[in-house]
Amino acid sequence: MDVLFNQLFSGLSMASILLIIALGLAIIYGSMGVINLAHGELVMLGAYATWALQHFFGFSILLALPFVFVAVGAVGWLIEKIIVQRLYSRPLDTILATWGIGIILQQIVRIAIGPESRFVSGPEILRGNIQIGNVYMSNYRIFVIVLSIAILGATWAIMTRTEFGTKLRAVIQNRSISECYGIESERIYSLTFAYGAGLAGVAGALITPLFSTIPTMGTGLVVNAFLVVIVGGLGSLFGTALAAVLIGQATALFSIVMNDTLGRIAVLICIILLIRLRPRGLFPGKTRN
Amino acid sequence: MTKKLKYDLVAYALFAAVIFLAVPAYLNFEGYELNTFARYLSLGIVSLALALSWGTAGILNLGQAATFGMGSYAMAMHLKLKSSQGLPDFMSWNNVEELPWFWVPFHSLSFTLLAGLLIPASIGGIIAIFMFRARISGVFVAVITLAFLVAFQLLVIEQQGYTGGQNGLTGLAPLTLLGWTVDIYSLSFYYLIAACLFVAIMIGIYLVHSKFGLILRAIREDADRTRFFGYNVASYETAAFCISAALAGWSGMLYTLVLEFASPTYMSVSFSLAIVIWCAVGGRESIIAAAIGAIVVNLLEVRLSDVFVEGWNLILGVTFVLIVMFMPRGLHGVVAGANDWIARRKDSRVSNAKHSNLKSRPEIKGGQ
Repeated sequence: MDVLFNQLFSGLSMASILLIIALGLAIIYGSMGVINLAHGELVMLGAYATWALQHFFGFSILLALPFVFVAVGAVGWLIEKIIVQRLYSRPLDTILATWGIGIILQQIVRIAIGPESRFVSGPEILRGNIQIGNVYMSNYRIFVIVLSIAILGATWAIMTRTEFGTKLRAVIQNRSISECYGIESERIYSLTFAYGAGLAGVAGALITPLFSTIPTMGTGLVVNAFLVVIVGGLGSLFGTALAAVLIGQATALFSIVMNDTLGRIAVLICIILLIRLRPRGLFPGKTRN
Repeated sequence: MTKKLKYDLVAYALFAAVIFLAVPAYLNFEGYELNTFARYLSLGIVSLALALSWGTAGILNLGQAATFGMGSYAMAMHLKLKSSQGLPDFMSWNNVEELPWFWVPFHSLSFTLLAGLLIPASIGGIIAIFMFRARISGVFVAVITLAFLVAFQLLVIEQQGYTGGQNGLTGLAPLTLLGWTVDIYSLSFYYLIAACLFVAIMIGIYLVHSKFGLILRAIREDADRTRFFGYNVASYETAAFCISAALAGWSGMLYTLVLEFASPTYMSVSFSLAIVIWCAVGGRESIIAAAIGAIVVNLLEVRLSDVFVEGWNLILGVTFVLIVMFMPRGLHGVVAGANDWIARRKDSRVSNAKHSNLKSRPEIKGGQ
């Protein structure tokens, strides 16, 4: 029983990081139909930015978070302005272009910083565990879970309670009519892309104490996050959140029953079946197409 | 004979002349160099297989590496059995006591050659029926095939006792084909691979120019309209997917022969996307161009990574992004564009002489 709860807890903390990554991906995909395969590399950039801030300036992860968010967001903004913006009429080609961008980012990091893995220490304040019965919960993981819920809430608030969010939703519903009302859809798109990229950066910063920071760390993450987005359904934040938890927990549970690898395979097969049965995802948002 | 078919056949003949005559002559018939080139040729087949499903039918298959890997492992299993007395070495390391049942038929070469084509085709067929019956298209096809690829690679790595796990299958015997023991550093081996490539291209060209190819292009442009014309879109898509999978399996078999081992990295996400890159660089709409794309990118990769050890991937990434942005039809698009331009100039010169009075007519704009 304790094994189960410990697994569930670590599954939940992985799921919450997956959620932050997938949330960025989902916003970008939901609003512009762009599948950003460079998203994993943005996570990697976030992790390296955290490492750099800690290594050169002695920032702890918590202090680094806002800087990383802005820096990676800026990278995302540039990518959107220079490349992605020209490809909105060809959504399938964005998969290819963003994969190319991913290769470029990965190689730049490899040349500039080196291929060996970098170590980032977790924040001092969050050292230690909370123990309930025989279940050990590290404070850092609890923090990650809480922060991811906060980010989900903030994203929801931005989408529904701000003028920017209203404009974004208008552009998602119908781009040309929104433009007729004076909404600058290009600007909205750039900001949305930057926000999604910034979230990837935050996820990268959070992941550093749990994962080894290497240039190729993003590739595996992006595939998982991508699956979360599709399973969760287009344009639905809470669908994405639920899918992240579901996939994270299913992986954790299957891993107890079988082993790690077979667990992941079982989850992938479930995902394939799910996409087949509900191609619009578990909780499709209401969009008119 | 249509104009496009003529154009393709001319390109085919030129390409064949380069591969069969110019390249061996340029490489001085030197075994090692020829072997490296044979590797590019074998990858040409998987690239053209993708051109068939992606360029022609609009099915973006990000799992092409899975079917490639199946072919590659089929060949490797045969050669592994040939090289070992009794049980292959890695099985005894993993406490597998007995040869598993699915390894047994790979003692026979003819079974292996069939299996290398039919296993990818039938597994591809199952996935295709599963997807296309539900009218799944576009991005979702990409996701499902990608998820399948990841699952398949995990499975191969996990079943170490049966597949060699992370190490793959190494220490393979040379192939014996009709009593001829293949030396992979010989000219005849190069010609064997080249012949396979050109048979594959011929199959591709035949399919693209047949009615089947026409319907696939119709599906790519608008699946619903094709359905309204009474065609069973799902079965055409499934057929295209299966043929593409079989060609990928073939390519995988040849690749194992060239490199003398099979590895789970052949089924990685990056290898699969590399295939997409080759195909896009060459031009996804043309079978020949896709094959040339694979050869050119791999050739450049080997040549340039000697010069720029670190920078090669950067160059590849930048080039690829630029090609997607500005040359969506790849190298083939440039050639075809130039061709069209010449044809148009010729036409306009003729029509200028004939109907110069028509040109002066103002264009009529229709209201909506």
